Amino acid sequence: MRRLKGLVVDWVLLTLFLLMVEFLALSFSGSRGPTGLLVTPEETLDLLHYGWCAALGLLVAIAWQSLRGVRRESPGHALIFGEETDEAIPWTHTLRGWFTALLIELTFLTGWLITEVQLFDFLTQFNKATDIVRGLVAENVFALFLRNAGEVPAQSADVLHQGLVLLVQTIFLAFMATAFAIPVAFAMSFFAARNLTRTTSLSRWMYTLVRAVMNITRSVEPLVWALIFISWVGIGPFAGVLALWVHSVAALVKLYSEQIESIDHGPVEAITATGASTLQVLRYGVVPQVIPPFLSFTIYRWDINVRMSTIIGFVGGGGIGYILKPRVDLGQWGEVGTLVILIALTVWAMDIISAKIRERIV
Amino acid sequence: MTTEAVRVEGVSKVFDPDIQALTDVSLTVEQGEFLVVIGLSGSGKSTLLRCINRLIDPTAGRIWLFGEEITAAEGARLRALRTQIGMIFQQFNLVRRHTVMSNVLSGGLGRASLFGSLLMRYPEEERRRAVAALERVGLGGRGGSRADRLSGGQQQRVAVARALMQQPKLILADEPVASLDPALRHSVMRHIESLNRDEGMTVVCTLHDVDLVQRYATRLVALRDGKLVYEGGPSDFDADTFRDIYGADAEPATDMLLGTEGATP
Ligand SMILES: Nc1ncnc2c1ncn2[C@@H]1O[C@H](COP(=O)(O)OP(=O)(O)OP(=O)(O)O)[C@@H](O)[C@H]1O
Ligand SMILES: [Mg+2]
Repeated sequence: MRRLKGLVVDWVLLTLFLLMVEFLALSFSGSRGPTGLLVTPEETLDLLHYGWCAALGLLVAIAWQSLRGVRRESPGHALIFGEETDEAIPWTHTLRGWFTALLIELTFLTGWLITEVQLFDFLTQFNKATDIVRGLVAENVFALFLRNAGEVPAQSADVLHQGLVLLVQTIFLAFMATAFAIPVAFAMSFFAARNLTRTTSLSRWMYTLVRAVMNITRSVEPLVWALIFISWVGIGPFAGVLALWVHSVAALVKLYSEQIESIDHGPVEAITATGASTLQVLRYGVVPQVIPPFLSFTIYRWDINVRMSTIIGFVGGGGIGYILKPRVDLGQWGEVGTLVILIALTVWAMDIISAKIRERIV
Repeated sequence: MTTEAVRVEGVSKVFDPDIQALTDVSLTVEQGEFLVVIGLSGSGKSTLLRCINRLIDPTAGRIWLFGEEITAAEGARLRALRTQIGMIFQQFNLVRRHTVMSNVLSGGLGRASLFGSLLMRYPEEERRRAVAALERVGLGGRGGSRADRLSGGQQQRVAVARALMQQPKLILADEPVASLDPALRHSVMRHIESLNRDEGMTVVCTLHDVDLVQRYATRLVALRDGKLVYEGGPSDFDADTFRDIYGADAEPATDMLLGTEGATP
């Protein structure tokens, strides 16, 4: 069984290896496109022989597993069985070392081509963006001086006013999302901790279920959640609260449960030994140990939520993003700059405050 | 009417993956005994103690507690049996962030109402009992301190008070003084002895120190590699049996400490 797992790992790695080799060979052969690169995903897919790569990968993987001298060195074997040699051999002396090094190189090269890295443009074409940068920075600095001279542009002052009001909304939005997330995440985290869910088969099921649901929830972007809740409860800050709430629950369950998994098991044993029931064991053996880190995580999460809630506003989830988005679209960089500075100041302040509080708690 | 407190029959424990911690251990503890379990580090002493109150489930074998089979009990029945077994640990295992008082009160959780105990509210009678237990171990007036502010010896006395609060019929003590200053060992051991003598509690205790074994044990058993290799009174415990248990290289005369790394062949 474990040998089979090792074989599958090898197979996947070798197939990826071969696919990347083929991709690079095709890209540099110059047969396609004006630059010699493959441009669209369809073109790439048309040309790659993944079936053959997989078959060849399997063949090599089987060969690697069955050749006596090097079987131990296959990456799959090492991952599944763990390192078996005592002395540390430098990687240049093993087949696995070379294979891993090559695989990393290949991945980097392939990534370079796939994400269309253009170092030349990056280093030489800055002047095309100067307009935006000037708008973001210069106009606002300028406005400060103008204000001193008593000439505040009416429009800019308006944005500042609106921005401040919505900033308050943003902070409360983040706060409510966090507050709603705490009890739900707290209750669920006990089911998501491995060390508390080993005893009965029901609890093992709960563990798997909660972990799976939370992983899925967490991997869906808050922006997508916002879109879902906007059609559910309508445009406005409450949709944003719900979106951040869902995401915060998933994130907090992960942080909380990892904390629970790292507690000292001694008090749990001691309380269990008195004949206490499961809830009492949690209350006395677990909770006192995890409260300070939980508080710290929660404040950190509030901090993250403030940052996220600006983006949520882009799609109509309330908060300052709501007035930021149209100005970005219209290219009113001066006003965008004003708002960005407001957000930056808030995030900065939140960061300092949350760091201070967390310092106190732990 | 039987006088046995604990009967262990053919108990084995195999930990994942394939660690044989106990092999076919059988023994009986009579009521009122102070039974000391000795053996090298890793010989299975802690595992045996934890099997008796089912903190660990044995792989095979059965265990009776005052005539009732604890290895067959589940749920509420198991918890009810556990209230009769107090436990004292090498690392004290107090709730570090709670007060001393709250730690002592937690000894009575087995009989407390669920709701009240979750809110940490206790009846007046329980509080009086806890104060008395603290006074008895010489910590009267320290109830308000946070548990981790106390010294090691004081913390272990709080653990003794917690066991006293529980009012069990059996005490399991797993190296209760191994992490204490040698000068403080007798102060804690005397309190455990008093539970045995004055309260009539049966004690099963693991120890490493020859001195303590001969001073407190009424009977002695030894484990080696998970097997029971010796059973007898503390006075029959001579140099030969000592080597049997601890291996030929161990030195009882020059080194008073048994079973620590130095004694391993
Ligand atoms: N939870 C566990 N999982 C896996 N193996 C364990 C576990 N607990 C104990 N063991 C193993 O069982 C064996 C007996 O351990 P045990 O703790 O009972 O020994 P001990 O006699 O109490 O030793 P010490 O004097 O060091 O406390 C050891 O080999 C130990 O590694
Ligand atoms: Mg032990």
